Amino acid sequence: MTSYVLRRVMLMAPLVVTMVTITFLLMHAIEGGPFDTDRPLPPATQQRLQERYGLDKPLLQQYGLYLFRLAQFDLGISFASDRPVRDVIGERMLPTVQLGLTAFVFAVICGVGLGTLSALNQNGAWDFAGVFIATVGSALPSFILAPLLVIAFVLRLHWFDVLGWEFGNYHKMTLPTIAAGVLPMAFLSRITRAALLDVLNQDYIRTARAKGLSEFRVVVRHASRNAMIPILTVAGLLFAHSLTGSFIVEQAFAIPGIGKEFIDSVLVRDYGVMMGLTVTYTLIYALMTLVVDVLYAVVDPRIRY
Amino acid sequence: MPNESACPSAIDSSRIMATPGPLAQAWRRLNSNRLAVVSGVILTVIAVVSILGSTTSFVQRHDPAAQAYTDATGTNNTDRSPNRVNWLGTDGLGRDIWARMLQATFFSLRIGIGAEAVIVALGISLGLLAGLGGQRTDRIIVWITDLAFAFPDILMIILVRQVLLGRDWPILGAGSPQIPGVPSALLLTVIAISIVSWVTICRLVRGQILSLHGQEYVLAARAAGASPWRTLRVHMLPNAISPVIVAITFGIPRNIFAEASLAFIGLGVPPPFASLGSLMSDGRAHLQTNSLLVIWPALAVAMLMLCFTFLGDGLRDALDPRSRRQRRASIGLAPRHR
Repeated sequence: MTSYVLRRVMLMAPLVVTMVTITFLLMHAIEGGPFDTDRPLPPATQQRLQERYGLDKPLLQQYGLYLFRLAQFDLGISFASDRPVRDVIGERMLPTVQLGLTAFVFAVICGVGLGTLSALNQNGAWDFAGVFIATVGSALPSFILAPLLVIAFVLRLHWFDVLGWEFGNYHKMTLPTIAAGVLPMAFLSRITRAALLDVLNQDYIRTARAKGLSEFRVVVRHASRNAMIPILTVAGLLFAHSLTGSFIVEQAFAIPGIGKEFIDSVLVRDYGVMMGLTVTYTLIYALMTLVVDVLYAVVDPRIRY
Repeated sequence: MPNESACPSAIDSSRIMATPGPLAQAWRRLNSNRLAVVSGVILTVIAVVSILGSTTSFVQRHDPAAQAYTDATGTNNTDRSPNRVNWLGTDGLGRDIWARMLQATFFSLRIGIGAEAVIVALGISLGLLAGLGGQRTDRIIVWITDLAFAFPDILMIILVRQVLLGRDWPILGAGSPQIPGVPSALLLTVIAISIVSWVTICRLVRGQILSLHGQEYVLAARAAGASPWRTLRVHMLPNAISPVIVAITFGIPRNIFAEASLAFIGLGVPPPFASLGSLMSDGRAHLQTNSLLVIWPALAVAMLMLCFTFLGDGLRDALDPRSRRQRRASIGLAPRHR
């Protein structure tokens, strides 16, 4: 197990290098540079800026230098704010992670709850309601949901604030959480329902019932464990998605997170931040897939690495 | 079969004479799925109306770009609520929302279907190459698909879009469309989306081909002397195609969704054009004065997504009824465009 995890961690290095290479190429293929303004800067100023940020060197050398610095965990300097990229990303990461975690917890509680409710009342009224919510939810991506929520709860009912994010302040947290959480909730509830139904039809569950166990014990102790595997797969990927932030929810509610930062950095050609964010995203994804794979082995003893 | 009890003799005799082929059977199963049929009908209506909207004046009675601050009687014509003249109301410049919606729906559908066409072409050919080509080809293609899975889609789409923007490459061009009827704004979005999304279909086709390769009837065909091309065309492709059809049905709304997300974060198609996403993102600025501007396109996108989902579910069950239960346990890996 340890050697498997170590090998996977080692494999992340070539992955990051490939990602850096692709982003580097694409980034420099975008027309215009970071210091192109409507009124051209004086050539001397342009020259000094280029030198200051190392943009006067040949591309290959810039690329080599970036990789060299990256190996020392140095992400360079942001052109837009003249601060270390690591600080910029760290600062922007906080609201994204808070929002992601809240939305994820919301999605897991509601989604798994709804799915379980559906599965236990197969073809009943609760099942119908659960499947209905899951289906409608999966057709309501955040960019539709966010403005509709704002119209209903902010403009008409005046219940919440529209803009910004403040952890612990439910006026600012509720709407972004719902907007970001409904889609993963819908997915989780579909998966939970299917997985639980599959398990509940198996022989060992009939045995458990025949032994006279209470329904609660049958579901919680016997069925839920085996239903966990597909749920876990989806939840892990959804968690990675939540952590990397929703570009759309951040944009819709003006939350200063990394999704918004990435779009801004592309628009002003802030090379340092673009590259830094790509590396961050890649690492989060790679780590999450690894965590999911490890959790498999924990949940299902048949899986060994 | 619901028809069986209604008219048994007819069904029986037709069965004796000729058993319907697998496609006909699938078609019958699809038709017995009410939700899928309704969705299919709604989608057809939406497509036909939006196509007619760009050609006739019956469904589209106003020019989507025509601004009218006052109407014929001189009263204010901006931000009107739905009425007999403007079916869905007007926006802040007095433009008819129904006309703009038709234009935008047509554009969004073209993006969804156009991108899916490119994705299918790329995905199937690369998937076949991986499945049938040598081991080295396979390894390279699998490596590329793995990379594409590790790279967040929307990051890549944004980067590719920015790279292509304002370029004068052979078919793109900034000015008049170089391919008649295909403006560069459309082409650019289609390319950006399909460069990222062909991976799913490629994996699907590769997996199918690999699993079919060892099947006895394929071996038998080869032993009987069928050429590799004939084996592929007659014996393998028909069996590999049904998951691809399902993937296409789910792919089209995903492309529409991807474009709408781009538009929503301000990277949509430029003004003379309008997609459902760009209508929403324009409308967001006027949320307080006229919320209908957002509500209509939001409903349209939700409608499209729902219908494609139902149709896709129906197709999946119709095309492969046997593995229905297995599939349900593993529905939908995580959504890809977020």
